[in-house]
Amino acid sequence: MEQYSRQLDGIFQALADPTRRAVLARLGTGPASISDLAKPFDMALPSFMKHIRFLEGSGLIRTRKEGRVRTCVIQEGQLAAVEAWLSQQRALWEGRTDRLEQFVVTAQKKGEAQ
Amino acid sequence: MIRSSNPELDLTISRVIRAPRSLVWSAWTDPASLEQWWIPAPARCKVVEMELRPGGSFITRMSENGGDFEPHLNACFLDIADGERIVFTNALVGGWRPAEQPFMTAIITLKDHSDGTDYTAYVMHKNNADRNMHAEMGFYDGWGTVVEQLANLVEQRVG
Repeated sequence: MEQYSRQLDGIFQALADPTRRAVLARLGTGPASISDLAKPFDMALPSFMKHIRFLEGSGLIRTRKEGRVRTCVIQEGQLAAVEAWLSQQRALWEGRTDRLEQFVVTAQKKGEAQ
Repeated sequence: MIRSSNPELDLTISRVIRAPRSLVWSAWTDPASLEQWWIPAPARCKVVEMELRPGGSFITRMSENGGDFEPHLNACFLDIADGERIVFTNALVGGWRPAEQPFMTAIITLKDHSDGTDYTAYVMHKNNADRNMHAEMGFYDGWGTVVEQLANLVEQRVG
């Protein structure tokens, strides 16, 4: 569970940045070289590389080097963790409703006891 | 109310709570009470603002592991029908101002039931791509909730 939580943490951090989201959106359409990915951004290459490394570290993408070109590929498996989002929202509201119920029922018992 | 539901983005949580509607309503609308159940223990909740009127601000903060209180929910009430309905969204913040990262609207409905209160939370979310970014809720207490529920269940069975 904790490991899963850390994994999600990295994914959400990776997704929290507009440049990284744009890179992911682009990679969603197919693999691309780092120079192609960097083109739309007004950013020095070292800064852009930090984003790529962040994405790679989160497991959302992997990169491979062929000759002088480094190509990035999206890792769909990682996104499956995020796909569980709605079930997490459900768990949140179920839990919240459980706690509300428990709170109210306990409050009622206290009221009756007085 | 007519609304179209989307099973991929919407949730309905319904429960019959064995207590009168007025008690459920006060558990929801009294800040000190809401703090007791809004976020799963051991994390702590603080209600910063709870202005129960359309356009009113609804802000909660949370503290994990005894640390500082951090942002949890910053939302705006859309509708308050006394004792019956609470609607809020994080698409807006207090005073109708558009929010930075909207992702949900929640409709809480309370109805009388022969066993107490028929309680429903209907929660609508934004599209798939956007909602993934929103760690504000869910990510924090979603998994904690599951563990807590499990622990409660076990304790109840043991006890």
